[in-house]
Amino acid sequence: MNVLFLVTDAYGGHGGIALFNRELCGALDHRITVIPRVIRGAVRDVPPNVTFIAEAAKGPISYMRAVAAARRAKPDLVICGHINLLPVAFGNPLLVVHGIEAWKRRRAPLEKCRGIVSVSALTRDRLAGWSGYAGPTYVLPNAVHFEDYGIREKRLDLVERYKLDGKRVLLTVGRLDSAERSKGFDEVMEVLRELPEDVVYLIAGGGNDGTRLQARARELGVGARVVFTGLFPDEEKRDLYNLADAYVMPSRGEGFGFVFLEAMACGVPVIGSKLDGGREALLDGKLGLLVDPTNPAEIRAAIVETLARGERRVPEGLDYFSFGKFVERSRAILSSAGMDRTRS
Amino acid sequence: MCGITAIFAYRGDAVRPEELEAITARMIPRGPDAGGTWISPDGRVGLGSRRLAIIDLSAEGTQPMWDTRRELVIVFNGEIYNYAELRASLERGGVRFHSHTDTEVLLELYRRDGERMLGLLRGMYAFAIWDTRARRMFVARDPYGIKPLYFADDGRTIRMASEVKALLAGGGVSGALDPAGAAGFFLTGSVPEPFTIRREVRAMEAGTAFFVDAERGRGNVQRHFSIARVFRDATGDALVDPAVFVRERVDESVRHHLVSDVPVGVFLSAGIDSSALTQIASTHASKHAPLHTFTLSFPEFSEAPLAERFARETGTVQTTRNVTREEFLADLPRIFERMDQPTIDGVNTWFISKAVHEQGVKVALSGVGGDELFGGYPSFMNIPKMVRFARLPFASRAASLLSRHPKARLTGRYGRSYAGAYFLQRGLFLPDELPEILGEDVSREGLERLSPLAHITTALAPDPGTRFGRVAALEAALYMRNQLLRDADWASMAHSVEVRTPLVDAWLLRQLAPLLPNVRGKEVLGAALPDYLRTRPKTGFFVPMKEWLDLPPDGTTTRMRSWARRVWETFA
Repeated sequence: MNVLFLVTDAYGGHGGIALFNRELCGALDHRITVIPRVIRGAVRDVPPNVTFIAEAAKGPISYMRAVAAARRAKPDLVICGHINLLPVAFGNPLLVVHGIEAWKRRRAPLEKCRGIVSVSALTRDRLAGWSGYAGPTYVLPNAVHFEDYGIREKRLDLVERYKLDGKRVLLTVGRLDSAERSKGFDEVMEVLRELPEDVVYLIAGGGNDGTRLQARARELGVGARVVFTGLFPDEEKRDLYNLADAYVMPSRGEGFGFVFLEAMACGVPVIGSKLDGGREALLDGKLGLLVDPTNPAEIRAAIVETLARGERRVPEGLDYFSFGKFVERSRAILSSAGMDRTRS
Repeated sequence: MCGITAIFAYRGDAVRPEELEAITARMIPRGPDAGGTWISPDGRVGLGSRRLAIIDLSAEGTQPMWDTRRELVIVFNGEIYNYAELRASLERGGVRFHSHTDTEVLLELYRRDGERMLGLLRGMYAFAIWDTRARRMFVARDPYGIKPLYFADDGRTIRMASEVKALLAGGGVSGALDPAGAAGFFLTGSVPEPFTIRREVRAMEAGTAFFVDAERGRGNVQRHFSIARVFRDATGDALVDPAVFVRERVDESVRHHLVSDVPVGVFLSAGIDSSALTQIASTHASKHAPLHTFTLSFPEFSEAPLAERFARETGTVQTTRNVTREEFLADLPRIFERMDQPTIDGVNTWFISKAVHEQGVKVALSGVGGDELFGGYPSFMNIPKMVRFARLPFASRAASLLSRHPKARLTGRYGRSYAGAYFLQRGLFLPDELPEILGEDVSREGLERLSPLAHITTALAPDPGTRFGRVAALEAALYMRNQLLRDADWASMAHSVEVRTPLVDAWLLRQLAPLLPNVRGKEVLGAALPDYLRTRPKTGFFVPMKEWLDLPPDGTTTRMRSWARRVWETFA
């Protein structure tokens, strides 16, 4: 089966969606043509079954040209990697939805989709809620490669750089986005006031909301206890997680929350949100504690409980999100969706 | 779900066992399944309970209940819907339990978190915990005031109970009338917290807690929840389609409110709120099968055909209960006997709860609170409009010229603020009508002590920030709390039925608050209902009182002013 995969980004891309797209390509043994909208970094590790049309990322015209060429090649299945690309996806594509892009009413020709793959049941339900989409749906959660993580000693240079010696560290990894403000940084800083002095909050990520967050931390009287890493190199990620005593993200906007899997794969206990996809990354509370981000009392109690336990281990149930399982799930979805050629 | 008593003679003489027994016994209808009292060895503390068993029906659930270490003892009225989650958290911390009740979770949560525990509770509650280690009592009431708690504190002994009438039944509290409560009743149709109809008795305010000990007596009141503050603090854009989010969150609230070891019913009136609750509850009914629905029908007026059709389509076990004038007149003495404080409402809940009890069901969901949450009342339009109008020059004179309604001439005087406009909008009688009913002295003292506008204004502190938030806070903290929820309590408990209110939930409010001012919540809630329910005009939860009692004309279509006078005769 020849598969055409229309994506925003994949190889040479940053962030969760690019990662998901690379993982999907890696999981399938079909011949896949990938047409990216943008390429931000170096294109590396493209698997042999994948033809990556890098020229398409030069601009809209190049992209359309690449899509037209792909159409002439008559692929057996079109996968549309983002709802924004649905208008250019021809035939009856299989659409992939990730999170907030599918949570709000918008114009999208969903009726032509042969099926929808969602990273979480929550995103699937929210999409169905406003669109009334009644075709086949599949849930394909993110996967984690355990070999890339693991429990490590705290890297001393990082401890020194962020002044974490003798501290208990709460960590959130994510983009500091002034428009969204959905990661829960404000919510954690708010309860930090009520936690013991030796508890500090490490916010790891770049973005345009840092200045406001720093001011807010000072206003709350915890300016000295909130540490901002700014944008950090990918190679440091595993060591950053290993600095943490608890990974805390009382968010509202996660489609799934891949970062939870990374934290857990480093043996860091996690606290996630009841109001977004984090609930599913934590297997409904089996892998970590869930809190209502609108309730500071619950966030505080979960942090206190987690720090009191003071335990580092990779939770057994995390295997649910292994890459092996991801491969099984994605192949099953493709064989099921690929067989259904009759939908128009 | 129970009736509770707590007496603490923090400086006074020892607790009289007969008083404790008498107060507790008055509340037997609230808790027919079991009862118990306990007095501390030194005679200073007495606790009493009547229990309606809903969760853990075994004798392990009996109150007053001790923790496993026998250091803390509690009496508790209500339900904690997230108790299983809280229990799991305590167990991870090494706590062991002797029962499967939510009551015991409260004890252990208090040991772990002290007064901070209140932020973690999702539910309705009033409880008192006697801490033998610190020799102090912790008393708390739920965020919205769904479950009642009254106290009389003479500076030596504090007495608390779920009913005003129960406190009086003990003989230790005087029944002298409170003019402020009386004035409040005629102005609004119910007695406004923290006043009661009795001078010595106070309502514990919703969303508050306090400690009592020998040294300080009743300590400072700590407010753990305020509707106005939730609206003020509500931030964040809607990331999710508002209709989808509302539906998702209400669904989750309903799911929480179905936690029970006995069958659950729904009050179904063929209105949007109760129909939507029925629809949602029925999707969870596999676990709680079968879902029962209950509808009242009167010879004069009936929503039953619509409700029955909807129940059939939804697959619930429907009971339509016919109520006639004769039955109403026969029940009236008992209605007045169980009515804890004067109120112009509650008769509807009386009969629907009677119907629920007759079918052997103990727990029912009610759609109460939907109008306050989603802006279903005309006041959400009228009050902001009146404020804008009254602030215009010459508004006062224009209003008198344009309308002959007695309230119109007061627009200029009251209508300039949200509190004043609310006072006019919801007013049953006007202040200058009170002397004729209550006499000059009682009326003057009552108005002075009550200070109606200042009292209403407390519901708006801090400023909720939006027009919607202001009206929502007023309606929920005044009308719903003092009238709807209180009536739901006494009238259902009289039939040993527990009413649960998925739309009156602090967690739901916090989640929805940022988007409520900009969403047509009722449309959203009713979106999945059939047309014959969705498009009909709003009706109240209505009882044909006017026809049944032949009430004299009083300038209102419902004759509620005449009914108020009739009710008053039984209390004065």
